[in-house]
Amino acid sequence: MTAPSSTTPPGTAGPAAPTPAEAGSARAETAALQDALAAEHVAVWGYGTVGAALAGEDRTPVAVAVEAHRDLRDQLAALVADRGAEPVPTLAAYQLPFPVLSAVDAARLAAQLEDGTTAAWVWVLDQAADRAVRELAVGAASAAEVRAVPWRSRAGSTPATTATPGL
Amino acid sequence: MSTRPARPVAAGAFPRRSLLVAAGALPLLGALAACTDPPPGADAVTPQQEDRLAGQVAVQTELVAAVDAVLAAAPDLAAAVPAVLDQCRDQLRRLQEAAPSVTGSPTTTSGSGTASPAPAAPVADPRAELRTRLTTAADSHAAACLDFTGARAALLGSIAAGLRGQLVVLA
Repeated sequence: MTAPSSTTPPGTAGPAAPTPAEAGSARAETAALQDALAAEHVAVWGYGTVGAALAGEDRTPVAVAVEAHRDLRDQLAALVADRGAEPVPTLAAYQLPFPVLSAVDAARLAAQLEDGTTAAWVWVLDQAADRAVRELAVGAASAAEVRAVPWRSRAGSTPATTATPGL
Repeated sequence: MSTRPARPVAAGAFPRRSLLVAAGALPLLGALAACTDPPPGADAVTPQQEDRLAGQVAVQTELVAAVDAVLAAAPDLAAAVPAVLDQCRDQLRRLQEAAPSVTGSPTTTSGSGTASPAPAAPVADPRAELRTRLTTAADSHAAACLDFTGARAALLGSIAAGLRGQLVVLA
């Protein structure tokens, strides 16, 4: 999912890329938490589109997922702020990766949203220095994968499970 | 170490992850991190961690053997969850690659390994047995993940997440 008006050409690293911090450093951990926060913003926004394409009780897992992602978003924002950094904000809108015109499209989008957050949390595991952060991350990655599996099934993805999600 | 995850990067840089992150919501510096060798600090392991990693290989070896045995005795269940065994083996292979000090080659055949034997007789409720085995392994890997940093923490956490996902199809 992309912002509507990105000014950076795809595939480039941008004009002001700072030096990556070493994994396990406080700076790397904070950067990874910011990445996860951005992914959670995307998930919260994206599930709005998922819900709009579904009807009735099919929306129940959407509400559950949105609540989970909002909770994680708020936890991440607090963690980032505690580290003296400015939490990355949500954008007003994002560009969908494909048109969401059916329930199957919605399931596919939801699976991709969960995959995105799983990848972000696994990256937090890679970069984290703090054990408590790793504890949060492993729980969040697992929860995202658990939500992703039924969405993949609905989208017709086979298999619906993955051996090493986020890697 | 081949198990290192790629940093989620801005849209366009990696198509597979293009949905993951909003362009502009992240600093655009991830491409380099995805293709360079891991820094030594976070991925260095102590002798105690080597032992712990060997223990997780044993946990996964035992899981593979158990899943193989349970599914062999329950063909209907095996047909319903055809990917579980292969994915457990893939997880084991990844763990073995991350723990080069552990003796033995990556598992590609059923039931290999030195861990405790799988159930010899058919179990009364193979689905429940499988769930118990997967849950036990997932809990173990998730707990071990906390004792590592870097790519090994990511791998253990990812495998724990994968096992939790497999539990969903066995519900």
